[in-house]
Amino acid sequence: MTTGTTTTDVNLSTQHAARSTLLLTLADDELVIGYWDTEWTGIAPVLEEDVAMSSIAQDEIGHALAYYELLSSQTGIAPDVYAYGRQPDEYRFARLLGRARGDWAITMARRYLYETADAVRLASLERSSHRLLADLVAKMRREEQYHLMHVQTWFERFLARPGEARDRFSAALTDLWPDTLDVFAPLDGEDDLLSEGILPDPMAELRARWQAMLQPSLDRAGVAVSGKAPTECRRGGQHPDFAWLHNEMTMVYRSQPGAEW
Amino acid sequence: MTVGPHPPMAIYEVFQQAREGDPMTHVGSLNAPDDELALQYARDVFSRRYEALRLWVVPRASVQTIDDLDLLRPPFDRSYRRPDGYNVVPKLRAIKARVAGTQQEAEVAG
Amino acid sequence: MTTLAGRVVKTVEAADEQRRREEFFAHVEGGGKVEATDWIPDEYRIAVLRFVEMHANSELMGVLPERDWIMRAPSLKRKLALTSKIQDEVGHAQILYRVAEDLGKSREEMLADLIAGKTKFHNVFHYPTKSWADVGIIAWLVDAAAIVAQQALRESSYAPYARAMKRICAEESVHIIHGRDVVLAMISGTAEQQAMVQEALDRWWGPLMQMHGPPSNPEKDKDLRWKIKSKHNEQLRQEFLNTYVPRLWEIGLTVPDPALRHDEDTDRWLYTEPDWNELRSVVTGNGPASQSRLDFRRLSFEDTAWVRDAVLGNGRVAA
Repeated sequence: MTTGTTTTDVNLSTQHAARSTLLLTLADDELVIGYWDTEWTGIAPVLEEDVAMSSIAQDEIGHALAYYELLSSQTGIAPDVYAYGRQPDEYRFARLLGRARGDWAITMARRYLYETADAVRLASLERSSHRLLADLVAKMRREEQYHLMHVQTWFERFLARPGEARDRFSAALTDLWPDTLDVFAPLDGEDDLLSEGILPDPMAELRARWQAMLQPSLDRAGVAVSGKAPTECRRGGQHPDFAWLHNEMTMVYRSQPGAEW
Repeated sequence: MTVGPHPPMAIYEVFQQAREGDPMTHVGSLNAPDDELALQYARDVFSRRYEALRLWVVPRASVQTIDDLDLLRPPFDRSYRRPDGYNVVPKLRAIKARVAGTQQEAEVAG
Repeated sequence: MTTLAGRVVKTVEAADEQRRREEFFAHVEGGGKVEATDWIPDEYRIAVLRFVEMHANSELMGVLPERDWIMRAPSLKRKLALTSKIQDEVGHAQILYRVAEDLGKSREEMLADLIAGKTKFHNVFHYPTKSWADVGIIAWLVDAAAIVAQQALRESSYAPYARAMKRICAEESVHIIHGRDVVLAMISGTAEQQAMVQEALDRWWGPLMQMHGPPSNPEKDKDLRWKIKSKHNEQLRQEFLNTYVPRLWEIGLTVPDPALRHDEDTDRWLYTEPDWNELRSVVTGNGPASQSRLDFRRLSFEDTAWVRDAVLGNGRVAA
């Protein structure tokens, strides 16, 4: 297994097999949201919430690691090389996750949208013909229950009464909604994944399922459901906030190429 | 900065069962605005290292206390409620000795 | 809480009050324990509150030196480990503010006083961090120095604090292992990594030596007499040196104090007198990072005020 290699050594064009793309997509989503969420450690609104939120963020990084490990078992490239050894535009996360965490309303709104979307995605992937992936997803869904409880709790609290909190949260949901659709952007090689049963349901169908599920809640929140369904795969680390994050994430790793830490 | 006039949070007492069959044990308390968040917080505040098989989360307002020693350790003797309140050993010794003596006499006679 | 005792009318006259005070202090000085709901004379309550509040503040401020490095950890495993360590510090702040709150001061008031510079936190958290090596040195040595003090506090006369210390010590022991692992990985690595560790140690040694405070007069120390704490400052520093200096030397690190040595005859570590003026100056808010850290705390507290108002604005009454 190669460790500590730089991106010049990672030939991603050979990894564009559909399976790898799927795993990278799932891994990068959890990695990036996990990074933004861990930023709240030590500065969340109340101490108890700080501790709870940090556990959720650690779960996400743990899930990213698990996906990278699964990918690594197929490619021989170490998880840390995937996590830290790529250029920003080589990441496959949904654009929704590229922006910085913002304030508590933006963080929670994004978490609400992402966790509900991911739940639909995972429910489908648990039936994947890729046995190892299906087993991993089954394990994750058990932990994700808590994430869903948590975002639901906050959703209700923000909307409980008129005022600043409700306004901020509704505005954040409205603002983030179009980018959430990219979580379900069709994948490169999706046709192959579907025919092999690795992806049990097309992304477009998962998006529709998710939208239908969320409709009543969003109506209640006063969020106008708009934004065209994404037809191309609009994933990737182009957001300027991610440029900052990527620099932070990789600065120590890059300072001593090949070193163990 | 000003300290806001919003109402303080409620205090919840947390109990855990660490191993199968163990009793619930008090592990600490936390602040939360309501029961639902208290339950969610309890998991990470007290069991993020998988310490618990089960958690009870109880508003402190529901807990009643007795700590008056006049009531819990009243002054009069109540040793009759405990094993050490009974002294069977000397009686047993005497009886055994008598029974053994009687049996010996019977053997000698028979 | 409602107490049955509270419902029985017990008239306490002045003479009784004096007798109660004498009994109380005899009780704690003799090794007896105190609970939050016991009758507690003001001097003791104030002393414990001040002690616990400073400890809680330190846990909360202790988060800040390391937080930046959560985003910069050079591997996923290190990121997880560091995030969970800092989560623990927040958890410790929660436990300690809870203990302090039950002594009569609200969490909001304590946070306001901290941010306003009215209350203190430990010296080590007033210094900046410069490299990933700081993460290892802090997690290993700062937490080790803290645990030496905290282990002694498990015997505190104030029982809620003693119980909190038992829980905290168990968690801190993991931090020390993690910190040592980070340092050992770097010492086993490149020349630059090794140099980074030595450089970090050179910067942190001074604050570490000051951390337990100047040798105090045990006769005059109320916290000692009332057994709020059970060991004096110099005892703690000697314990720390005794365990950790050999561990630094055995991996080839140099401790930046040429006078540091163990005197066999007295079985004591000898060292250059720490700069107590620096300590005094730092804990009163003049450390290199004191103001920036307090400003950061204030800003993040203010930025999230609307969340507390919204979540708490449901009219429920405190227990």
